[in-house]
Amino acid sequence: MSDVFDVTMLALLIATAVAVARARDLLAAVVLFSIYGLTMTLVWQHRGAPDVAMTEAAVGAGVTTVLFFITIARTTRREKR
Amino acid sequence: MRGWAWLLALAVALPLVVGVAGLPPHDAPDAPIHTHVGARYLERGVEETGMKNLVTAVLLNYRGFDTFIEVVVIFTALAAVLALPRGAVRPASRRRTEDGRGTGDPGAADPDAPAGANAGRLADVDGEVPVSPVVGFVVRLLAPFMALFAIAMLFRGHVTPGGGFQAAAVFAAIFIALGLVMGRARVGRLVSGRAQPWLQAAGPLAFAAVAWAGWRLTGHFLGYPMHDHTAQEAMALVLEVAIGVGGGVILARLFLSMET
Amino acid sequence: MLLFGLDLDYVAIVALFGIGLYMLVAKSNLLKKLLGLNVMETSVFAFLVTAGMVEGGDPPILVAGTGAPFASPIPHAMVLTGIVVAVSVTAVALALIVQIHAHYGTIEVDELKELP
Repeated sequence: MSDVFDVTMLALLIATAVAVARARDLLAAVVLFSIYGLTMTLVWQHRGAPDVAMTEAAVGAGVTTVLFFITIARTTRREKR
Repeated sequence: MRGWAWLLALAVALPLVVGVAGLPPHDAPDAPIHTHVGARYLERGVEETGMKNLVTAVLLNYRGFDTFIEVVVIFTALAAVLALPRGAVRPASRRRTEDGRGTGDPGAADPDAPAGANAGRLADVDGEVPVSPVVGFVVRLLAPFMALFAIAMLFRGHVTPGGGFQAAAVFAAIFIALGLVMGRARVGRLVSGRAQPWLQAAGPLAFAAVAWAGWRLTGHFLGYPMHDHTAQEAMALVLEVAIGVGGGVILARLFLSMET
Repeated sequence: MLLFGLDLDYVAIVALFGIGLYMLVAKSNLLKKLLGLNVMETSVFAFLVTAGMVEGGDPPILVAGTGAPFASPIPHAMVLTGIVVAVSVTAVALALIVQIHAHYGTIEVDELKELP
């Protein structure tokens, strides 16, 4: 069962990273990046690193994502080509 | 350009895969990472540092210099952001008209944005986002509990998962959530203007002070007196509070400085 | 965790590093480049945490209820410092991107290269 969890999480990580690369809408890219960060949190929690998981959850979903949103509000929302 | 980028990514990834293939399996208990210094920290960490959370022990005690430099790094990032010219930022609704790029019309939407009522616009002209009352209520309800959790993590960082930077991240998250709900003008007054520079520099200053205290106690810069658990706990607590409060104020100031 | 001749976890992490590097080099939008840098950074943190784990291991916090084997605490400390550095770099880069857009009106490197 632990194997299934690990493989699912890794596949989700790679799928989310590819989706971040392909998203033209920068808002969607940042939301997908926040999903990527939270999936990382689950992976690290499963691997016996609760300190690191807590920090990445608070920083990845909280601080970094909000700073990106503010930047998108001040610049453009679509990626050109 | 895209083709060359694929080749570059592959050219970097393939030697990494070859290198990684030479490592022992990642969950083997007899890998070298567990049998050298790590084993010593696990065996003698609690009696040498007085902390049950060995990650905090490594961060503050065994590898304290690294944490010292880390707080200086985040302080330098804040200094860099504050050193950028202010007042040159214009809201996204006004665009330059040179070379025909953009229209210069404050009401025009991005031509290839999806159609809709608020298409392509995350903020009104003055930067305030209208907030749903549900979000406002939930954030205001949860903020005290989040603060309580952050303070608990800060002060119990030596026996439970937690510690300095986790508390700083949660403090900053509270500040950002409240700032989005209450408006940044009201929430920017939470920390008094005169105390702000001292709080932002709290991390490096506290580390310097504790390092000096360690030098007086043991003769080594940032040296913890071994087996004197009271002094060790006092020094670690001062560092934790400084990292937590200093880091939180720095992250909150980064958020505030991005708005205008 | 699985071994098809290679450790699948490490290969997945190298793949994430490659995806991040592709985003950093190939994309023209500065925000996308920054997202690629962040993906690279988190993949390296994942590598460090994975290298320090033990199968069925407990976190390295020696309270009642946790027993041997423990995950190694040193990679966790390195990753915590790394997360702080990643946040700092991201904050400075975002502030610079906002300034670039305010001065030049664009954040696409292709268009910035054409400017006089």
